[in-house]
Amino acid sequence: MPMLRVKRRTIVAFLLPMLAMMAVINLWPILYTLYLSTTNYSEFTSDNYRFIGLENYRQLLFSFDSDFFPVLWQTLLYVVVCVSCFLVVGMLTALALNNPRVKGLPFWRVVLLLPWAAPSGITALIWKFLFQYDFGPFNQIGRLLFGPQFGIPWLLNPTLAFISVVIVNVWLSYPFFTVVILGALQGIPGELREAARIDGAGPWQYFRHVTLPLVTPALVPATILSAITTFQMFNTVFLITQGGPVVSALKPGATEFVMIYMYNRILGATVANPHYGFIAAFAITLFVILAALTYLGSGLGARSPRASSIREARA
Amino acid sequence: MSQQLPVVEIRREPAPVNAAAGQPGRLPAGRRISLLGRRLGSVALYVFLTVMAVFALFPLYYVVQASFAGAQNLYTTDLHLFPAHFTLANYVTAFTQEPLLNWIGNTLLVCGLTALCGLICSTSGAYALARFRFAGRELTLRALLALQAFPGLLALTAYYLLLNTLHLLNNLLGLVLIYSAGAVVFCCWNTKTYLDGLPVELEQAALLDGATPLQAFWHIVLPLATPALAVAALFTFMTGWNEFALANLVLNANANGSNLTFILGLYSLQSDFRTPWGIFAAASVIVSLPLMLIFFFAQRYFRSGLAQGGLAN
Repeated sequence: MPMLRVKRRTIVAFLLPMLAMMAVINLWPILYTLYLSTTNYSEFTSDNYRFIGLENYRQLLFSFDSDFFPVLWQTLLYVVVCVSCFLVVGMLTALALNNPRVKGLPFWRVVLLLPWAAPSGITALIWKFLFQYDFGPFNQIGRLLFGPQFGIPWLLNPTLAFISVVIVNVWLSYPFFTVVILGALQGIPGELREAARIDGAGPWQYFRHVTLPLVTPALVPATILSAITTFQMFNTVFLITQGGPVVSALKPGATEFVMIYMYNRILGATVANPHYGFIAAFAITLFVILAALTYLGSGLGARSPRASSIREARA
Repeated sequence: MSQQLPVVEIRREPAPVNAAAGQPGRLPAGRRISLLGRRLGSVALYVFLTVMAVFALFPLYYVVQASFAGAQNLYTTDLHLFPAHFTLANYVTAFTQEPLLNWIGNTLLVCGLTALCGLICSTSGAYALARFRFAGRELTLRALLALQAFPGLLALTAYYLLLNTLHLLNNLLGLVLIYSAGAVVFCCWNTKTYLDGLPVELEQAALLDGATPLQAFWHIVLPLATPALAVAALFTFMTGWNEFALANLVLNANANGSNLTFILGLYSLQSDFRTPWGIFAAASVIVSLPLMLIFFFAQRYFRSGLAQGGLAN
């Protein structure tokens, strides 16, 4: 690519506003967090904290009472379950919306993509109401069908709370996949369908050997970005469950995913002495995991952070 | 269901030919089955679309009807899908007794300033990265990608201490500063990608004619880059809409909660011991409606902005 030849001064002047800003608000917080992770800084020791090397990391990764692996495990489970649901629901809706026999396609399109347009923070709070035990419409519908003693403890039972936040996340995110898949489907030339029919391919074979391979290149980056966004999901889940329900004081809550766990250990109502150093170690470890995932993802096809930012904008 | 959908399509053409021949009764058995399958597929298709439409619409419909319903409809164990006594009281209360206008104003201010800050700080840098060759250019680009992978939430403590030092805690400007971290990186990358696609010849000609690089940037590049800047500003703006965690860290509600952004305000309404669902519903509708309209109008624009970089690369 051709470049412009300019004086060194000019280059510095053009770069300066951005680099100065980034040094203060991007780089410094990261470096400071890195530093904190090697100290025993906590609310009680804020006047006389000291360097303790990798002790925080040892405690995080190698001590038996560490919550790190349970929290990481339930976060990964959440990611896998959510992303599989996105793929299935997104694929089915995209196939349906790509079917020329459907009457009133523009109508269905708008309706099925509507969750994407709704501001996710607000819809999370709406969903919380829908799940409410006494006055929430889901249990009201259940009572209508199965009698007055019916009641599903949506947000009170650990497994159901997990399922609830999966449902909400699917509602929020499937339209993104619908749009991505629909775009890829519309790029498939009609002759392929004709050729497959002449060759005697059944519908499943057509889907498996024609549609799927042609849609995959678009799906891979979308899936990776979506997995990364879900991994660091905070807003939606926190607004609905605050990471709960908590069954035992010693264990993290059933929907306490990595970001929520970190947040609750610093700002949680029951935390008297936030251990900033330890949480910083937790944050740095997460960053390493995220950076590795992003790096792998970018190798697999997602070249720029733009699409992830779009997801963040919706998340 | 996925197996049935393509059936519909593939058997589509032969079937009408037979029907036109007026021999439906003499169809071979396989054809009859496929006709049946076609009809079943059609039914399944519409059933699926209807189920999905209900799934997509129910939460939105429910909150709209709840916003028009009186308390007697909401605090009951029976299902009410229509407001028994239609009332605008919730809307009136949301405006008169809750600081809804303050919340909206605060949010607009924070998101607007963040977008502005992101653009101002990043555009010239993005231009330098797109057009100038210098030592450390590759490194800067890699660093940008790495920074993008760092969620601001991870540096919670550091941000808290930074704002404390700058005396910006409990201040909307403090929130703008934190949000700008993501905004600067995103705007820079977005603008740089867009500029990569613009021809460099215009600027070369301008420089030959004696323009300074600043003049070329200001008079030639900025007007050309307007679409990219607009998209970047809009995305930045929208990222701020829903952000809860950092806002909750920076802003502490004052006595009547008028210093909050709307997502914090709505959250405080819900965790209030009164849990005024009706008011919450009305406030949600008031805030969401303009956003959804903007989204639908801007959608086309987004997609054209999308195709130019990022995924299309």
